[in-house]
Amino acid sequence: MAPAPTQVRIRSYNVGFGDCFLLTFGYDRAKPRNVMIDFGSTKQSATGPRGEMLEIAEQIREDCGGKLQMLVATHRHADHISGFAGKPGEVIASLDPDLVVQPWTEDPDLDPDAKAPAGSGSDGTHRARAVVSRLSAMQALAEAALAAVPKLEASAAVPQTVADQVRFLGETNLKNAESVRNLATMGRKHVYVNFGTKLALSKLLPGIRVDVLGPPTLEQSAAISHQASTDEDEFWHLAARQLGADGAGGAEIFPGAATTRRAPQEARWVIPRVDQMQGEETLAIVRSLDGALNNTSVILLFEIGESRLVFPGDAQLENWSYALHECDEAEEIRARLADARFYKVGHHGSLNATPKSLWNGFEKRKAKPGPERLATMVSTAAGKHGSAARGTEVPRKVLIDELERMSDLRNTQSLKSRELFWNDVELEL
Amino acid sequence: MAELRARKMPVIAQDPGVRRDDRILTTTVSVPWEDLQPGPMGHRVCVVDYDASTGKMYKPAVVEDGDLRVPEDAALLADPSFHAKNAYALVMRTLARFEYALGRRVSWGFRAPQLKVVPHAFEEMNAFYSREAEALVFGYYRTGGGVAFTCLSHDIVVHETSHALLDGLRERFMAPSSPDQAAFHEGFGDIVALLSVFSLGKVLRTLLEHSADEDGSQPEGLIAKERVTMESLMDSVLLGLAEEMAAEAGSARTGALRRSVRIEPDAQILDRPEFGEAHRRGEVVVAAMMRTFVDAWTRRLESLGTIEGNYLDLGRVAEEGASIAELLLTMAIRAIDYTPPIHIEFGDYLSALVTADSEVRTDDSRYGLRNGLLEWFGAYGIKPASGTEDGTWLRPDRALRYAGVRFQSLQNDPIEMFALLWANRKRLRFDPSAYTRVASVRPCVRTSPDDGLPLRETVAECVQYVKIRADELDQFGLTPPAGMPPEREVTLEGGSTLVLDEYGLLKYEIYNRLPRKGAADENAEAQKRLQYLWEQGAFDAGRSFNARLATLHRRRVGLDEREARAEVW
Repeated sequence: MAPAPTQVRIRSYNVGFGDCFLLTFGYDRAKPRNVMIDFGSTKQSATGPRGEMLEIAEQIREDCGGKLQMLVATHRHADHISGFAGKPGEVIASLDPDLVVQPWTEDPDLDPDAKAPAGSGSDGTHRARAVVSRLSAMQALAEAALAAVPKLEASAAVPQTVADQVRFLGETNLKNAESVRNLATMGRKHVYVNFGTKLALSKLLPGIRVDVLGPPTLEQSAAISHQASTDEDEFWHLAARQLGADGAGGAEIFPGAATTRRAPQEARWVIPRVDQMQGEETLAIVRSLDGALNNTSVILLFEIGESRLVFPGDAQLENWSYALHECDEAEEIRARLADARFYKVGHHGSLNATPKSLWNGFEKRKAKPGPERLATMVSTAAGKHGSAARGTEVPRKVLIDELERMSDLRNTQSLKSRELFWNDVELEL
Repeated sequence: MAELRARKMPVIAQDPGVRRDDRILTTTVSVPWEDLQPGPMGHRVCVVDYDASTGKMYKPAVVEDGDLRVPEDAALLADPSFHAKNAYALVMRTLARFEYALGRRVSWGFRAPQLKVVPHAFEEMNAFYSREAEALVFGYYRTGGGVAFTCLSHDIVVHETSHALLDGLRERFMAPSSPDQAAFHEGFGDIVALLSVFSLGKVLRTLLEHSADEDGSQPEGLIAKERVTMESLMDSVLLGLAEEMAAEAGSARTGALRRSVRIEPDAQILDRPEFGEAHRRGEVVVAAMMRTFVDAWTRRLESLGTIEGNYLDLGRVAEEGASIAELLLTMAIRAIDYTPPIHIEFGDYLSALVTADSEVRTDDSRYGLRNGLLEWFGAYGIKPASGTEDGTWLRPDRALRYAGVRFQSLQNDPIEMFALLWANRKRLRFDPSAYTRVASVRPCVRTSPDDGLPLRETVAECVQYVKIRADELDQFGLTPPAGMPPEREVTLEGGSTLVLDEYGLLKYEIYNRLPRKGAADENAEAQKRLQYLWEQGAFDAGRSFNARLATLHRRRVGLDEREARAEVW
């Protein structure tokens, strides 16, 4: 029987608004093994390391002793992968990960720009490819939304918060071309996973079982295959176009038609309201695309003996619901999750990425501190995402209150040192 | 002076996708005449052709009386002023339909008399009604070859106008209440829109011709009998329309119609989880209404004589269909006066449909529409809320007290109406301590086809609210949902629609009263609503629950987060 690790240290680096985790498993008679999960930021912390992402990458190199066994990029949002570009990316590549894990939606064989391999073309592959193509159109849309920000800002009718959020979500959803490319080339082996993918880890991570609980494939999840309808595909392609992703947006629709320089008096009441609605529409679309990409997140359940650790990336309800409720093994999965000792709070503490049925199922939630209490970590920064007035702020206050009350919570927001820019959870296994 | 009562205007019959002889199918509609300013701007509608995406303000369109010329297709698509006039005509036609059906002036859901219509508001595949902006805004979007304009789709313009009109008739129908109420605005909008399109004989004729063209064996101007069965009419007219619309607007826009047609009758359908979502649920009422329409049409055609043994006159077939659509449209609108002012469910609407219609039209033998409605709604598990066999609301068994109430002002004065309520508060079970508002008092005159005489009614909406804490719910006979904190503020609402006859006597009281202790039967619904609203997050602090219709429209293509109150923070 393979030796099992006897302890784990989970380190969460202060990337600002983003995620970056390093799991270091300690063995009695073997070298430690390291798993890195995500490395991205859309907004640096004011109290983070002065050298920003590069300094964090160098710290990771030190912390893992120069070698990663596994690297996970949960999904392609900037706040999860931006660090894989540029110099910080080179540092991570030099850690020579044995295995790089990404969601099935990142499989280069499904890339709409890549030539389809000869002989491929089952119905399932076509549909999967359509989804990937749509995600790609959506990211083009993010770029167009960003380009629209100055106009939104210039309009007196559009509230600044709307423009700010379009910018923030646009930046998060922007195609991180360099990061994506680097991820594809770093490491020795790549797997593109979905719910139920078996990871052969006995050599890389002895004594550790890792289950993939998400994202589901189209066939697996009725909810997601509903989203894969052609109606929605068309919607996204149109949305991308309307924001000018193909260069046509904003072009004249009635060349030569008579216009007036000054709006007639009777139009002046409604014009600012139309401007405002347009801003809000843009925001709503960008928000939908943000959710769709979040739902491609890899959800991992680590199991070492009796100890279980949950890392769900930014998965929202739709992604979680397959593992928790819809699949045949849902009951067994819920029972195993119930026993978790550690939970990485989903999507920076947003309102819909910690399903209440998951949270309420954790048996180690306790009001009283003690050795058996659930440990949680959140990597977040307030004031970037959502709004408290609408009850959509990230992190959601009621969730953070509950996490503080019922678990040992480590929050990157409370890190104030430029030198010690990480939180640790250490568990004896 | 007949020509001054109505103005004829050319419009695109459905949308640029519906063509005949390779040209966009257009038709002429008649709208109330008024002295128009450029825009067009009249006393009820003001078209503002502003485009937020390009920042352009197009020159206000001028309507020339009697100008029925329709430009060539390309010129028509490229002319914003034709679009503006097209939208004006369809909004006005819809308003006039409502006023005709209800027998009175109908106001929008806001104070100003003029609805703003923005035909090219921005580049987006969306169109919606905004109460705050007092406007209908129509987006446009680029398709493979050109630009698709939502303001050129008859069904979209009418659908959005129906939102604005329904909001004027029942302001609480946009508020959170139950899955049915959330679905009703959309379902009603679709019903009015589709029946409005089908009431144009030219559209029906074109769709029938197109389906006949497919095998090419049809003699000119005739249609084979086997093509007018229920099944083939569903196919040729309803699905046919969806397909031709898709050719123009893309399938994302037309999915709703396609899906409605395909929803097979199933009495348990509304209990299925996927029909909990507002749009899917709304499609069920649309399906019931469309089957009522096609069924009545088919039955009517069976009584027509055939030509050459196996054929019917195509023009006549289309005409019969258009008349039935027109009549059903009137019924669908008139029914709103007979709905409760708050918390509508599909069963209420069904009872309202048959009651309103039987008040005006006692004889329904020609088309059998009332029975058809009961049968087809029943096939989808929707039973009349009245619980009566013929589906009509029960008449009150006791008269009201009128001491001190003035008859004359009772027909239009909310204060007088409140005096009547107050004098009868026990009898009508009004809670005197609740905040009470007489939302409207509307005198109506409808012409009965039975005898040609006017039927006069007064319709009043009265609503009541209480704001309490969750731990006070038991005083109203309700139990707080599991997990609701005792200090959580909860609003309970109730109300009645009072229909008075021409002597001011109470004809119907259609109510969803405030829950009260000791009324277990009535409270069961209120308890269900409370649970639903809690699950939807309606009582969450800071949560704005006035879902914009725009969001609903996006959800139609499967976007936006699913409503899962139980799982979110």
